[in-house]
Amino acid sequence: MGTNSGATTGINNKPVGAGGASGSSVVGGGGASGVGGVGGVGGVGNNSLSGVVGSGGIGISNNITPGTVGLGTGSNGSEDSGNGGGGGSTGQNNQQTTPQYTIPGILHFIQHEWSRFELERSQWDVDRAELQARIAMLLGERKCLESLKSDLTRRIKMLEYALRQERAKFYRLKYGTDPPQLNELKPPTDDAGLGSEVAPDSEVPYSSVSNTTWRQGRQMLRQYLAEIGYTDNIIDVRSNRVRSILGLNNNSEQEENVSPNINGNENNKRTAESEGRRTPAKKAQQNDAIILDTEAAVMANFEFLGTTEMSDDDEISDDLEMVSGENDDTDMKTTKRNKSSKDLISEDLDAEVGEQLLNDINLITEGYSSSNTTEQLNNTANNAAASAAARRNLITAVTAGGDEEVDASLGLGELAQLTVNNEAESSYDANAKDGTGGGTGSYRKTWNAKYTLRSHFDGVRSLIFHPEEPVLITASEDHTLKLWNLQKTVQAKKSASLDVEPLYTFRAHTGPVLCLGMSTTGDVCYSGGLDGNIECWQLPSPNIDPYDCYDPGVHSGTLEGHTDAVWGLTTMHSNIVSCSADGTVKLWSPYTKEPLLRTYTASEAEGTPSSVDFVRNEVDHIVVAYNSAHCIVYDTETGKQVVKLEATQEMSGNTGKFINKVVSHPTLPITITAHEDRHIRFWDNVSGTLIHSMVAHLEPVTSLAVDAHGLYLLSGSHDCSIRLWNLDNKTCVQEITAHRKKFDESIFDVAFHATKPYIASAGADGLAKVFV
Amino acid sequence: MKMADSTTILRRNRPGTKAKDFSRWADEPLEEMDSTLAVQQYIQQLIKRDPSNVELILTMPEAQDEGVWKYEHLRQFCMELNGLAVRLQKQCSPTTCTQMTATDQWIFLCAAHKTPKECPAIDYTRHTLDGAACLLNSNKYFPSSIFTLFARVSIKESSVTKLGSVCRRVYRIFSHAYFHHRRIFDEFEAETYLCHRFTHFVTKYNLMSKENLIVPINEEETATPGESEA
Repeated sequence: MGTNSGATTGINNKPVGAGGASGSSVVGGGGASGVGGVGGVGGVGNNSLSGVVGSGGIGISNNITPGTVGLGTGSNGSEDSGNGGGGGSTGQNNQQTTPQYTIPGILHFIQHEWSRFELERSQWDVDRAELQARIAMLLGERKCLESLKSDLTRRIKMLEYALRQERAKFYRLKYGTDPPQLNELKPPTDDAGLGSEVAPDSEVPYSSVSNTTWRQGRQMLRQYLAEIGYTDNIIDVRSNRVRSILGLNNNSEQEENVSPNINGNENNKRTAESEGRRTPAKKAQQNDAIILDTEAAVMANFEFLGTTEMSDDDEISDDLEMVSGENDDTDMKTTKRNKSSKDLISEDLDAEVGEQLLNDINLITEGYSSSNTTEQLNNTANNAAASAAARRNLITAVTAGGDEEVDASLGLGELAQLTVNNEAESSYDANAKDGTGGGTGSYRKTWNAKYTLRSHFDGVRSLIFHPEEPVLITASEDHTLKLWNLQKTVQAKKSASLDVEPLYTFRAHTGPVLCLGMSTTGDVCYSGGLDGNIECWQLPSPNIDPYDCYDPGVHSGTLEGHTDAVWGLTTMHSNIVSCSADGTVKLWSPYTKEPLLRTYTASEAEGTPSSVDFVRNEVDHIVVAYNSAHCIVYDTETGKQVVKLEATQEMSGNTGKFINKVVSHPTLPITITAHEDRHIRFWDNVSGTLIHSMVAHLEPVTSLAVDAHGLYLLSGSHDCSIRLWNLDNKTCVQEITAHRKKFDESIFDVAFHATKPYIASAGADGLAKVFV
Repeated sequence: MKMADSTTILRRNRPGTKAKDFSRWADEPLEEMDSTLAVQQYIQQLIKRDPSNVELILTMPEAQDEGVWKYEHLRQFCMELNGLAVRLQKQCSPTTCTQMTATDQWIFLCAAHKTPKECPAIDYTRHTLDGAACLLNSNKYFPSSIFTLFARVSIKESSVTKLGSVCRRVYRIFSHAYFHHRRIFDEFEAETYLCHRFTHFVTKYNLMSKENLIVPINEEETATPGESEA
C-alpha cells in the first residue's frame, strides 16, 4: 500500500513540475514583452513551484537515501506533511530508525524547512495583497471606462437623432411631404417580404440610404485593403478594438441563434485587446440590452466592420471568464458548458492565476497581430490552453500544499482528478483537429485563400471540383472553360497565395458559359451556355502539357434541345438535368442514341426556371426553382409534380424573392434556396413547407453549396463575400470577402470539394479562388 | 412611390435571363461606374450597343490612362477571338493546315513553347490565345495593384511593350482565317467587326507596323479617322 501511494504521488507531482516550469517560462516571456505587474507574477510562479517541491519534497528527499525503509516512510511523509507542524513531528518519529541521521539534525532540518515555508507563505500573502490592490485598481479603471463609454454612446445617439431630424427636415423641404418610413427607404425588393416572414428575421433596419452607401464604401475599402495586404484579420482586430471601446457586444447583432462559441470568442478578442481593462462578458451584454434599441443603426454599421467569426479557441474564452473571477461569470459558464471540473477550478482560482493567464493571453494576441495568420493563432491558442491547464494544476497544488486546513491527500485527489480532466480535454482537442482533416470544415477550421485562378477575361459564372483529384473546372462569360490542377502552381511573388495556370481551355460555346456539371466518376464534364447548348467534355489528364496538340476528342458531343440560355445543370449517376430560359427543364442521358429523355414544363404562372438540382435523398426526384419564387419537385419518371415548396404566408409578397439557386441537402429531405432578397430559406421536401428563413447576406444570395456530409453550407452573394454556415444551428462560421464587383454582380458560384478540404468561389471579376 | 431620385438600375444577369436580354440594360456612364472594372464595363457596353461603331469604341475617354485603355481593349480582343477559334476548330485541323501561314511568305512559329515550334495552325491559334490569357492575367506583368480606388489605373511601361507582341501574334489568327478559311472569317467579321476593330486599334495606338497588317479591311472607314496616326 505504501508503495502505491508513494508512486501515485510521484506521478502526480511530475506533470505539476513540468507545468510549473513551462508556466514560469511563459511568464518570463510576458515580462520581456513589457506587460505591467509581471514581476510580482513571476515571483508567485517561482514560489508556487518551490512550494510544491517543498510539500512533496519532504517525503522524496528523505526517501532517496534510506533505501529499505524509504518506501514506507515516503508514504507517511507525503500523507502527513500536509498537516504542517504535526506532520513534521510524525516524520521525525519515523526517521529515528535510520542510522545515518541524528535526531537533532533532522529536527533542525525540519525546523529549517518549516521556517522557510512560513517565510514563503508570508511572501505569498504580500504578493496576494499586492495583486488584490491591483485588481481593485483595474476594476476602478474599468468602471471609469464604462462610464466614459456610456457617455460616448449617448452622444452618438444624440447625434444620430439630430441627423435623422435633419434628414427629415431636408426631405420635407425637398419634396414637401413627410419622409417615408424606414422600410420604404430600403430597396424596393425588400418591401413585401420582411413583414410577412414566417421565421422572424432579426434583421437590423437600415436607418437610411446613406447607410447602404457607407456600407458599400466600406466593403470596397476592405477589398482595397485586402489587395494591398491588409487582411481581414487586421480589420477584425481593429473593429474589435472599436467595439471594445464602445462596449458593443457583437452577439446581439447576430441573426437568430448565437452560438456561445462565437460569443465567447468575441469576448476573448476584445478582452485581450483592451489589455487589462477587462470587461466581463455579462456587463457588456447588459449594456447591450440597454442601448440595443436605439443603437441598432450604429450596430448595423459595426457589423460590417468585419465579422469573421472564428469559433476557435473556446478554451481560451473559458479561461478568460475565469480571469474575470466573478461569481456570476462562473454561473454563466456553467450554463454554457457542463464541465464541472472547470467550475471547480474556477472557484479555487486566485487572482494570481488570472493575472498569469491574462499575460498569457496578451502574449497570444501579440503573436496574433504580428503573424496575421489565424492558423498560427489556433496553434498558439491550443498551446496556451494546454499550458494554462497545466498551470491550473499547479495552482491547485499550491493551495493544497499551502493551506493547513486542507488535507494533503484530499489535495492530491483533486489534483489527480484534474490531471485526468486535462488529459480528457487535450484528447478532445486532438479529436476536433482530426475531425477537420475530413475536409468538412469542422468548427475549428478557418478557411484561408490559397489559390487564385486568373486566366479568364470575364466573369467566372460557374465552377466545379473533380470528385477526387485537386482539380477543378471554371466556366466563364469569355466563352471558355478552363481546367486547373491545384498541384501545378506558380509561386506568386510577395504573396502567400499561389497562382495556378490553367491546363486546358475548352472552346465550343459561342456565348458566355453559364453552368457546369461533372459526372460522379470525374471523367466527363458538361457545360451549359447562353447559346442554348450543353457541351460534353472528356476531361484531359490533370497532368497534360498546357500547350499540347489539339485533341478534337475532348469535345465529345453537344446536347441540343434548349432554345434559349441554359442556366442550370446538375448530374446524378449518368443522367443530367438542365433548366433553360426557354421555360423547360430537360433530363438527358448523354452518350446515348436519344440523349433527351424527358422535358418538364411548368404552368405559365411559374415563369422560367432559374435553377435545378436532383433531390439527393430520393431517387428520380428533381427540384426546380422558378421565377415565381416557388420550387417544384418533380418525379422524373412520371413527370408529375410531387410537391410545391411555398410558404402560404409569403404568398402576398413574392416580388423580389427571386430564387438564384436551389440545392438539395445530400442526406436529408431538405431543399435550400438562395434568394434575391438576401435570404436563404430551408424547405421540407415532404410537406413543402418553409422550415427556416434567414437573412444571410447584405446583397442577393447568388450561390449555394452543401458539403458532402451535409454539415456545412457555403453561400456566395453580390456583396462580394462568401459565408460558411453551420447547418446544425444555422449560424455563420466564417465570412470571407472574396471578389470584386463588375456592374452589380460579384460572386456567381461557390463549391465544396467532395473529398478534399477545398472550397472555391467564382466571381464577376474573372477570378476563381480556392480556400484551404 | 419611388425613393428620392436615386432609384438604381441593378445591372445583373439573373439565372433564367433569356439570351436576348443578357446584359441588356441601360448604359451606365463611365464616370458613374464605381466598380474596379469600370473600363472593361465601359468597353463592353460600347461593343454591346453597336459593334460596328469601331471609332466610338476605340475613343479613349478623357482622363483615362492610355496603358490601361490599351490593356483592357486587348483583353477584350483576345476574349472575342475565342469565338473565331471555336469556328476555326470545326474546319482547321492539323491535317489540313499543318503550319501557321497566311500568305506563302511566312511560316509563323508558335512562341508558347520553350523553343518556338512549327505548330499546326489550330494549335498555334489555341496556344497563342492561351498564352495571351496567361500573360494578360499575369500578376507579374499586370498586378492587381493596378486596380486601385477607381479602376486599373496605370500599367508599367515594360508591360505595355508586351502588349505589342501579343497584338502581333494574335493578328496572325485573323490573317490565317482570312487567307485559308475565308467563309468563316467573313461570317465572324460580319457579326463582330473584330478584325476591323483590331486593325483600327493597333494602328491608332501604334502597336503594329503597317506592313504587318496584311488583311485588307474596308479602306474608307479606316481612312476617315484623322487621328489614326497618333
